[in-house]
Amino acid sequence: MNAIEVKNLKKSFGDLQAVDSVNFAAAQGEILSLLGPNGAGKSTAISMLAGLLVPDGGSATLMGHSVTADPQAAKASLGVVPQDIALYPDLSARENLVFWGKMYGLRGAALNQRVDKVLEIIGLSERQKDRIGKFSGGMKRRVNIGAALLHKPDVVIMDEPTVGIDPQSRRHILDNVKALNKQGMTVLYTTHYMEEAAELSDHIAIMDQGKVIAFGTHAELIKLVGEQTRIDLTLNTESTVIFDAWRNTQGVSRIDAENGTVTLLVDDSNLVLPRLFEAAAQANVRITSVDIQEPNLESVFLHLTGRALRD
Amino acid sequence: MRILDLATKDLLQIFRDKKSFLFLAAMPIIFTLFMGFAYNSGEDGAEDDARISVAWVDEADNQFSELLFERLDENTALSLVDMEEASAMDALARGDMLGVLIIPSAFGEQAEGTSALGQITLVTDTLSTEGQSLYQLLRVPVSQLASAVEIGTLTADVIGDSAEFSPAFTLALEEWDEHQSRSLVRTEKAVAQEEESWFGDNPYNQASPGIVVQFAIIGLITSAQILVEERKNRTLQRLMSTAMRTWEIVAGHILAMFTLAFLQIALLVLFGQWVLDVNYLHAPLATLLISAALGIWVASMGLLIGVVAKSDDQVILFSMVAMFFFSALGGTWFPLDVSAGGFAAFGRLMPSYAAMNGLQNILIRGLGLASIWQPVAILMIYALGFFMLALWRFRKIGV
Repeated sequence: MNAIEVKNLKKSFGDLQAVDSVNFAAAQGEILSLLGPNGAGKSTAISMLAGLLVPDGGSATLMGHSVTADPQAAKASLGVVPQDIALYPDLSARENLVFWGKMYGLRGAALNQRVDKVLEIIGLSERQKDRIGKFSGGMKRRVNIGAALLHKPDVVIMDEPTVGIDPQSRRHILDNVKALNKQGMTVLYTTHYMEEAAELSDHIAIMDQGKVIAFGTHAELIKLVGEQTRIDLTLNTESTVIFDAWRNTQGVSRIDAENGTVTLLVDDSNLVLPRLFEAAAQANVRITSVDIQEPNLESVFLHLTGRALRD
Repeated sequence: MRILDLATKDLLQIFRDKKSFLFLAAMPIIFTLFMGFAYNSGEDGAEDDARISVAWVDEADNQFSELLFERLDENTALSLVDMEEASAMDALARGDMLGVLIIPSAFGEQAEGTSALGQITLVTDTLSTEGQSLYQLLRVPVSQLASAVEIGTLTADVIGDSAEFSPAFTLALEEWDEHQSRSLVRTEKAVAQEEESWFGDNPYNQASPGIVVQFAIIGLITSAQILVEERKNRTLQRLMSTAMRTWEIVAGHILAMFTLAFLQIALLVLFGQWVLDVNYLHAPLATLLISAALGIWVASMGLLIGVVAKSDDQVILFSMVAMFFFSALGGTWFPLDVSAGGFAAFGRLMPSYAAMNGLQNILIRGLGLASIWQPVAILMIYALGFFMLALWRFRKIGV
């Protein structure tokens, strides 16, 4: 039995098809990442899994419980870390955790022991009596995660948990996710940072415009772009002439320009790069910077959509 | 159990907010005192003394002048004020007195033996109605006193013993009194029936329940804000992702709102009872029931405001509008009985009027449990209406 199973899930808001026949699954103890730009439909998909939105079609189960037919059982096995800091700023860290523990059905000594443990996990035992309103963004994020772990859920959904925080807190959160996963929790992790998806995930579902456009392990997804290398070039001027010239250059499979940077997917950078410089010279365009990257999820997204995986 | 936990959390947040004390306790107590003072001042100015004021200038100061004073003072249409002659004449000139009655120093000196009581002087405007009335009011008691002296003197003369004057004089006066009570025609002061004050004998009978109802509504500012904050900071969304059902979340919040409203009402009722002598405990069960019904209605309205408002500012705006609307129409500032017909008729449909009416049945009309069932039923009907609207809106907006 998969811990998470989503089949043909659909949700629209008016004319906007936010989630369009999405399929993905995660086995127990896996980390599955939903990777995609903002507006790809990741949050809508997990809102349906969390029982916050009713799907227009399809099905979703958590630990075998349908989120629509048996929502209470599905929710009982689930911990949700929302993208926003969903805590009470005028209560202390401990008071927040105690409250959320009660909402998950914990009581008495078991609750207190679990709160102590979670404070230890998120590294805030020393600050447990301080009000959340006085915490830094990173500390709030850690309590935000801790509140979802109190009842030891089988499945944890984390919606962009590292948005807008300092590198140290981000590192702490990523390490926590790995540690939780080692304890057997299944994690569904949404992000638009490809490095996080690459580092954490057993499987990755790449979403764009409401659809899952690729699903697999990191290695399987990289194979989609073959041995292609990604080259980012910055030019001294914008020129359609050079774009056309590069597009027709032997060894270039894809070209995309955005925010002053030209991104190309090429078969062999050693062979192609001199040709690119030659064409630029003929078009009287100067290349001001070159960045060569081995194939990664960014390349995969570019390969699949023709757009960069940026905000 | 989770419903109680949610309500407890809401109350903890409310009591940690410093402005809660202001809205829930300080302001209503200050306003109760202020309104009671204002009502009382208005009533004091309206009180009139309809009696005829007469300056009593007693230069004799003996038993006959004292007897005359007592007999005149018994007359409820007269108000005798003991004064010196000069100041009495000044008061008459100013119009403070309608007449001056001067009892000369020789009054009664020759009574025993000559039967001459002596002449008293009434200074008044004999052409005015009041002056003529005053003369008529004085004439009878003075004549009765003079005739009693005459009887005493005659009796002493007939028996030939001056000691017989006093018993005969006293007996004659008593006979006059007796005769007066047997009289076929008795005169009384004719005055319009005094209108009973609309707050009974204590101005806080209006001020205290009025502020109870008014500030129960204003108290929504603090409790409804909790729900709005919960929607804004997405904790409501997080709650919905737990195994808690929607109705449990709604119940937890409305329980907190009710508890807060009821605690505030209880505080103001006890303050009224112990400090302002407003007799809520004349019918304690009736007071408890009407307070609970008021709390339930206010909590339902708070839930609706909390669901409809999108920001703290909107909570304040909606709560203030509700407060002004229901307070003015419900007779919390002034009783609907003194309002224009259409306004009063519309106001009597309001739940705030039901609460005021129920409380004033207890406080002013001295009624008990039987008098508050209708107000309680009206409050509960309104509470159900607001609750259903809030629930419908809650489900519609989702999280």
